[in-house]
Amino acid sequence: MTTSFGRLLKAELKLLVRDPLVLTFVFVFPVLTMLIIGGSFGTKPDPGFADRNPSHWYVASYLTVVIAATGLIMLPVHLASYRERGVLRRFAAAGFPRWSFALAQLVVGLVAVAAASALELGVAAPVYGIPALHEGGRVALGIGLGAIAFVSIGVLLGTLLPSARAAQAVGLMLFFPSFLLGAGGPPPHALGATMRGIANLLPLTQVTDAIRDPWLGLGTASGSLIVVAALAAAASVLAARRATL
Amino acid sequence: MCARGSGAIVPAMLTAKVVTVRGLVKRYGQRNVVDGVDLDVLEGEVVGLIGANGAGKTTTVECLQGLRRPDGGTLRVLGLDPVTEAARLRPLIGSQLQDSALPDRLRVAEAVELFTPRGGRGGDDLLARFGLGERRRSAFASLSGGERQRLFLVLALLGGPRLVILDELTQGLDPAARRNVWEAVRQLRDQGTTVLLVTHELADAEALCDRVMAMRAGRILDSGPPAELVDRHARRATIRFGLEAATDSEALLDELSEAVGVDHVERQGGRVTVYGHRQAIAYVGAALVRGGSVPADLSVAIPSLEDALLGLLDGADTPGRCGDRAREHHLIGAVR
Repeated sequence: MTTSFGRLLKAELKLLVRDPLVLTFVFVFPVLTMLIIGGSFGTKPDPGFADRNPSHWYVASYLTVVIAATGLIMLPVHLASYRERGVLRRFAAAGFPRWSFALAQLVVGLVAVAAASALELGVAAPVYGIPALHEGGRVALGIGLGAIAFVSIGVLLGTLLPSARAAQAVGLMLFFPSFLLGAGGPPPHALGATMRGIANLLPLTQVTDAIRDPWLGLGTASGSLIVVAALAAAASVLAARRATL
Repeated sequence: MCARGSGAIVPAMLTAKVVTVRGLVKRYGQRNVVDGVDLDVLEGEVVGLIGANGAGKTTTVECLQGLRRPDGGTLRVLGLDPVTEAARLRPLIGSQLQDSALPDRLRVAEAVELFTPRGGRGGDDLLARFGLGERRRSAFASLSGGERQRLFLVLALLGGPRLVILDELTQGLDPAARRNVWEAVRQLRDQGTTVLLVTHELADAEALCDRVMAMRAGRILDSGPPAELVDRHARRATIRFGLEAATDSEALLDELSEAVGVDHVERQGGRVTVYGHRQAIAYVGAALVRGGSVPADLSVAIPSLEDALLGLLDGADTPGRCGDRAREHHLIGAVR
């Protein structure tokens, strides 16, 4: 890896596993909460979970929590911290093309999603089992587009927010409502009509539907997939423009 | 090697212009933070850009590196335009930026690997040379202030840059760490590297620079070798001693008054104070030796660059004295 992008990517991947915020929110939090809530509603098919095993419902939902933690917490804090401390100026002065840092963050974000998702499934397998994939291609598409959308949102937030503290505050404020209503919180039937309406407006809900429905055989979720694809396209274009200014 | 003082021998190396700036203007909002700066740096020189905080020094060098787009003027650095040819220029410049850091958990050896350009080598040698060989596995956050600055120097030198820009290199360092960094810059000078040193620490500029440019409010007020600036803005050396009983004091004081470089001689009881040009130090010493009685309490005070320029840089000096453009251009023309 002798190109500037290659050297940057190698360094950023090493730093990824040394960051306690990343380890906590991207790797530990989703696994821990998946284990708790996945065991709270039993393992028998339940009408409140579209007649599916509630544990499997949450195993299929929690990949989205990893995606949200990466995009809404890890990347904004990381990037805002770099900007605040002059690390990006140092990279620019050393001749690293501006696009190289944005691209490195995109790749690092996707690697974080892949690694944390593998960890989540690895932990879930012996405890709750992994639900059978009904439409693997659509699930993979949902995960890929959802990850690109939220990683791009993370890069965008990181370029807009003025400091690491601001990024942390905004990131947590966006993450927890999205997590509770759109991915890993109470099952939809437990939510009131208002909360369900709000949940349906959240981007993370669309990503969750685009992954969980084809995974558990609940439908193709083509509408959600189109929304996620549009979100991925818009967010990545905006992030690329901001990051290369 | 150095071109210190007026009439100093200028080595053949100091011929090619590394930096040429004419009429540089940079505005933030309605305010001109850099206001018509002219600047030349010759190959092999250590040039200091000095001034108080907010004088426009950092903005000037950020324009030179292509990190900011100027609002006016022309710039050439190593024959390239920093605005349109930044990608080609940056690998040729080694930069130590003010108020910038590295990721806390990045280790020293990893930082060297990250900033070593394609095909570049010598990182280990540089780490050893700047006393960081034992800290290769240390995280950036665990380094002391002096170690961080030395690491930034190492990173600035990776790839053998033709121009090194050091912005507030000794900021926040204790005296021992500052001496270490000074030594490192002297090593660069000895190797013939061109250095542009940006600082508000006049002691740094006086210790390291062949030539300094004094900035205030976005303009260059005066420039020249440190000794010349001291002469221009604080000519007097002060020599003090006590008269010994056996000395023919009237004859001695008459001789001192006539000595080359002496402006004024004062006597208060048995104490004599002589004011004059630096040359006067030698002539007064010679007169004392000829008189056969060298006082044990002889002391000499020479103004430092800080003594000379403090008033100029903080705005206390009158603009008419040093700030007129004709004088400024004359001074810059002297190094062309």
